[in-house]
Amino acid sequence: MTANNSENQKRKTTTSEIGSDKSIQSMDENIGELNKFSDLEIIQSITDDEENIGKRVGTLPLKKIFSKVISFYRVNEFFRYAIWSILLILVSTTALTIVEYDMFKESVTGHVGKTFLFGGENPNWLDTFFHTFWWSVVTFTTVGYGDVSPVTHLGKFLTIIVMLLNFGVVTMLGGAVASVLVAQRLKGDDTLEESKFKEHLVIAGWNNFVPSILKIIDANHDSISQVILVNEMESEPMQRSIAGFGFERLEISHIPGNFTQELILKKAFLERATTLMILPDNTGLLPHEEPDEDKTVLTCLTAKAIAESCNVIAHVINPENVSHLQRANVNEIVIPDAHVPHLLAKHVTDPGVPQFFDDLILQEEKDKGLQEVPIPRSLTGQTHEKISAFFKFKHNWLLVGYTIQKAGFSLEEQMGDSGTPLIRNMIKEQLDGAGINLTNDEHVKVEINPADDYTIDEKHRALVLR
Amino acid sequence: MNPTAEQIQKINYFRKVPLNICEQIASVVEIQDCEPREQLLMEGGTGNTMILIFQGQVEVSKNMMVKTASGITTSRKPIIRLETTDPPPTTDPINKATVSVVQSPAFGIGEFSLVLDDAIRTANVHATTSIQYGILKLDDFSNIVKDNPEVGGSVYFEVAKSAVQNLATASADISNLTQAFFFALTR
Repeated sequence: MTANNSENQKRKTTTSEIGSDKSIQSMDENIGELNKFSDLEIIQSITDDEENIGKRVGTLPLKKIFSKVISFYRVNEFFRYAIWSILLILVSTTALTIVEYDMFKESVTGHVGKTFLFGGENPNWLDTFFHTFWWSVVTFTTVGYGDVSPVTHLGKFLTIIVMLLNFGVVTMLGGAVASVLVAQRLKGDDTLEESKFKEHLVIAGWNNFVPSILKIIDANHDSISQVILVNEMESEPMQRSIAGFGFERLEISHIPGNFTQELILKKAFLERATTLMILPDNTGLLPHEEPDEDKTVLTCLTAKAIAESCNVIAHVINPENVSHLQRANVNEIVIPDAHVPHLLAKHVTDPGVPQFFDDLILQEEKDKGLQEVPIPRSLTGQTHEKISAFFKFKHNWLLVGYTIQKAGFSLEEQMGDSGTPLIRNMIKEQLDGAGINLTNDEHVKVEINPADDYTIDEKHRALVLR
Repeated sequence: MNPTAEQIQKINYFRKVPLNICEQIASVVEIQDCEPREQLLMEGGTGNTMILIFQGQVEVSKNMMVKTASGITTSRKPIIRLETTDPPPTTDPINKATVSVVQSPAFGIGEFSLVLDDAIRTANVHATTSIQYGILKLDDFSNIVKDNPEVGGSVYFEVAKSAVQNLATASADISNLTQAFFFALTR
C-alpha cells in the first residue's frame, strides 16, 4: 500500500509539475522521507477513519434538534401551550371538515370562485380543509370575521366545544406569557439556564487580561465555547462589554456577585464546569489600589468544596500566596512575573528566543502558534516518531511535545493491602470524617521533544506548532 | 479433663512436636468451658499462659482512639475471628462477623507467653460462641522443653515465624500511618 501510494503520488507530481525538474526532485525527496516511516498505512487508515467519523457525525444534527425541541417543550410552559393550541386547531379543523363538509365546500366555492389551490376548477377536500382551517384560526384568535359559520346542529355543537376549549387555551397561553415575564423579573437577570451549561469555563474576577484571554480561547476552534464570567460588575455594563467583544464562537454569560461565595459559584454551575479560572479582581478598585488576593485563595477553597474535580487555575501577583493556594488544592498557578528574568537574560544569552516567544503568543490570535490537540485514539501505543510524522503529513503541524494527564496521588492505592485492615480502615474513616479526600487531583505534566521511541498512551495530548 | 495428644498436635505451633511429647503437654493442660462474650485475654495485660482453643470461635480486637461526632473516644475494633473446624463450634456466633473469619482445626493465642515472662497481651480476645479451651503455663512448657530440648526448636521456630509476620505487618502499618499523616498535613 505504501509503495502504491508513493507511485500514485509520483504520477501526480509528474503530471502536475511537468517541466519543473527541481520541483519533481524535491517531491521525490519528500516521498523518500515518507517511505522511511513503515506505518504510513496506519496514518492513512486513521485519516480514512476520521473522514468516516465526519460522515457519521453528519447524521446527528436531526436527532439533536429533535431532542432539543423535546427538552424545550418540557421546560417552556409557553411553548407547551402553543403546541397544544395548534393541535386543538388541527383537531377542530378535521372534525369540522368532516361534519360540515358540504357547507365549507359551498362556502369556499362562493369565496374563492374558480381558482383552487389543490382542486383546479372545483374545490377538493384539501381546499375545503384549508377553508375550515381558516375558520378555525379566525375563531381561535377571537377575530371572528363571520364570513363562514356552521349550519348543522352537530357542527354548531362542535363549534361550541371548540370555542369553550379555545377560551381555556387562550387563557392559559396568556397566563404562561405573564408567568414567564413575572418569573424572570423575580429571579433577576443573573439566573442562567442550567441545561445550556456543561463542561464550560468559569472566569472569576475581572481585570484587563480577560478580553485577551477570551480572544485567544475564541481563536482556538477546538476549545471550550461556553464561558461564564463571575464578578462584581453591574450586569448592564458587563453585558455591553460582552456584546462589544464580538467573538466568533464564544457564548459568554455573566453572573454578578461576590465569587468567593458558594451560592454565587453555584449559580455559575461550577459542579458542571471543566475549568475555573480565578483572576485578581479589579472590580470597584481605584487606580492605585491592589486587588485582594485573599479572595483568590478563598475562592479556590470554596470551589474545591463545591466541585473537587474541577480544574482550578489561579492567577496570582504575589508569590507568597502560592503556598496558600497549594494548600487550597489549586491545580495550576500562573505567576506572570516568573518568566521575566528568564526572558531578559535570554535577550543577552540567546538573542531571538524572546522574540520567538512573542511570535508564538501573537500567532495565537490566528488559530496558529503553540496548541494542545488530541491524538487520534488509533495512534495510542505508537512511538513519538510516528505520531510526529502523522501531524506533519496530515496537518503540516510540528509536534514539539506532549501534555500528560497524570493521576493524582491516591493514598488508598498507595496503602494497597499492606498492613492490617484495621489500620487501613481506620485511616480511611478518620480522613473521610475530616473531609479529606484520599485521592489528590489529577494534574498535567509536560514532556518536550522526547526520544523517537517514546511511546504514548491514552493520557497524552499533543503540543503542536500550527 | 485433659485434651488428647492429637488435639494438641492440631495447633499449628505444635504440629511438628512428636505425639509422645504432645501427650506430656496435654497432661499439663486442663480443658475448660467458656460462655459466649466471655473475655479470654485483655489488651495491655500481662500473662505467662498460652490459650489453646480446641472448639469454638473467638474474636480478636484492639482498643483504638477514634474521633466521632461526640468527640474522641476509645472504641474496640475487631481485627479477626478465629474458628475451629475439627470440631466446629457447637453454637452460632453471637453476632455477624464484620471481619474475616480464619478457620483451622485448632489454634493457640498468646503464643509469646511461651517465650517471654509476663508477656504483654497485644489484643483483646473474647468468645463469640461457646468454646472449649485449655491453658498452657510457661513454667509447665519450659519444664517439658528442658527434658526434651528438640521440642523447643520446632515450637520456638513457629513462634518466631509468627513474631516476624507481626513485625512485617506492624512495619506496613507504620508506613501507612506515616503516609496518611503527611497526606492530611499537606491538604
